Amino acid sequence: MNSLDPRVTRLPHIGEVGKIVPKASLDQFGTYEVFVQPKEGKPFQHEGIVHAPNLELAYVLAKETFTRRFTCTSLYVTDTRDVFVSPLTEGDKNAYDQITPSVATAGIKKQFEIYHLSKRGKQHVHAGSVEASSPEEAMSAAKQKFNQGKIVFNIWAIETNNIRFTSPDEQELWLTLPDKKFRDAAEYKGGDKLKNFLEAQSKA
Amino acid sequence: MYGGGNTFEGIKTDEVAQEDPILLAVFEARIARGEKIEPTDWMPQLYRKQLIRMIEQHGHSEIIGALPEGTWITRAPGFKRKMALMAKVQDEVGHAQLLYSAAETLGKSREQMIDDLITGKSKYSNIFNYPTFTWADCCFISWLVDAGAIVNQLANAKGSYGPYCRALDRICAEESFHLKYGHHCVIYLASGTQKQRDMFQAALNRWWPPMMHFFGPSDKISVHTEMLMKWKVKMGTNDDMRNQFLDMYVPKIWELGFVIPDANLKKNEETGRWDYTEPDWEEFKRVINGGGPCNKERLEVRRIAEERGKWVREALKTPRTKYVMPLA
Ligand SMILES: [Fe+2]
Ligand SMILES: [Fe+2]
Ligand SMILES: [Fe+2]
Repeated sequence: MNSLDPRVTRLPHIGEVGKIVPKASLDQFGTYEVFVQPKEGKPFQHEGIVHAPNLELAYVLAKETFTRRFTCTSLYVTDTRDVFVSPLTEGDKNAYDQITPSVATAGIKKQFEIYHLSKRGKQHVHAGSVEASSPEEAMSAAKQKFNQGKIVFNIWAIETNNIRFTSPDEQELWLTLPDKKFRDAAEYKGGDKLKNFLEAQSKA
Repeated sequence: MYGGGNTFEGIKTDEVAQEDPILLAVFEARIARGEKIEPTDWMPQLYRKQLIRMIEQHGHSEIIGALPEGTWITRAPGFKRKMALMAKVQDEVGHAQLLYSAAETLGKSREQMIDDLITGKSKYSNIFNYPTFTWADCCFISWLVDAGAIVNQLANAKGSYGPYCRALDRICAEESFHLKYGHHCVIYLASGTQKQRDMFQAALNRWWPPMMHFFGPSDKISVHTEMLMKWKVKMGTNDDMRNQFLDMYVPKIWELGFVIPDANLKKNEETGRWDYTEPDWEEFKRVINGGGPCNKERLEVRRIAEERGKWVREALKTPRTKYVMPLA
């Protein structure tokens, strides 16, 4: 290749121009859902996804992708396959109405985190947690605990054990964000320079 | 960053005629009410297809757009400019990740999109097929190409597909830094030495024609997009977007004392719109189809990066994870 950029010209010859071998399914990274806490005391909300080979790297990539600039206080990730999802409703239909109450079964109780979609088009927001022995039972328990007449269009339940949380000693990761002023629009005030320039122009 | 000049396929209305009329009516009523469509909602095949195409093109434009700017990081004047440009390029690549995720919720995997970019099956914004000869070219992109992208992105953020709109909200917030930074760079060139002024003027001369192409073919010759406008996939015509850009940025370019290389460019007081020399749409087509100065290089850089990253994926491969569609 003959490029203006010598580093491009030096690129090694590998493979064939315009060709790529499609990746086998094992060669494709898994999908992880990312949740962010925008402010101290605020509930966590769904922010998006990353692809990663495992939960720990998903956490690292989530930090790079979603908390590079916006101030946030904490973040966690979970495998998309570990999110149990209710049907999606609209209008005046409450998703909780489609959850059939399940009789609590014996078995070891685990904790589940419950998320609500309260406005279509917005993010799922953390509502609280429940104890249950299965995701179905968690949905039913959530119906008892959180269904307070307000319409919820979609409910998610995630077993707490499957979430990679931010540990207290990692919390300070986000404290440096306000120092990175070069990433901030407010750092680029050209007003004075522009004014001086225009004044000099009009005199000339 | 991204250009609106995405190539929509000609719409075959019979495709829509095959859809269930009741479901279609519910879908259209929801959009008319201003509600968002979510991944698990019913949607017409054509809506899904065109959205994948548009969001994917947008994602590719972020990736490829990072190349002509990225090449200047090591040569940006001074430490501060290097830090800023590095942050900007990192943002752009991050935007691609957000956009790919949004497109994935419609059923196309990220790897498939990456492969389609490399083989040339999918397109990206035409403007990145031109070279950045000098630092001023890089500044032109940071300020004005991003400005054009913002015009598109702000409009699209009011579209109908939930995941795309949410991605765009995040992206637009970061773009405000790109725009401010780009303008800052150009103000410094404008108020600098004669050599610096000449350098930006030369860049402006080179980039103006592709900038006019950026918003896509004129409404007179582009395919019918009424259906896409009704479904809030496309939020304004190409000429509307171009006009909005000219309204906002021509005065700012003139303010700095630069000359836009089009003698016919002026605001028509009667119509309230800009008059300009019709851009060369044959050139636009030629470049989109691979005939631009940098098409080959851009795709090769992307392809070789993918090939060289193979060992990383190989090393991280684990049978415990599985690619699945994102939830929202
Ligand atoms: Fe950009
Ligand atoms: Fe940008
Ligand atoms: Fe961008």
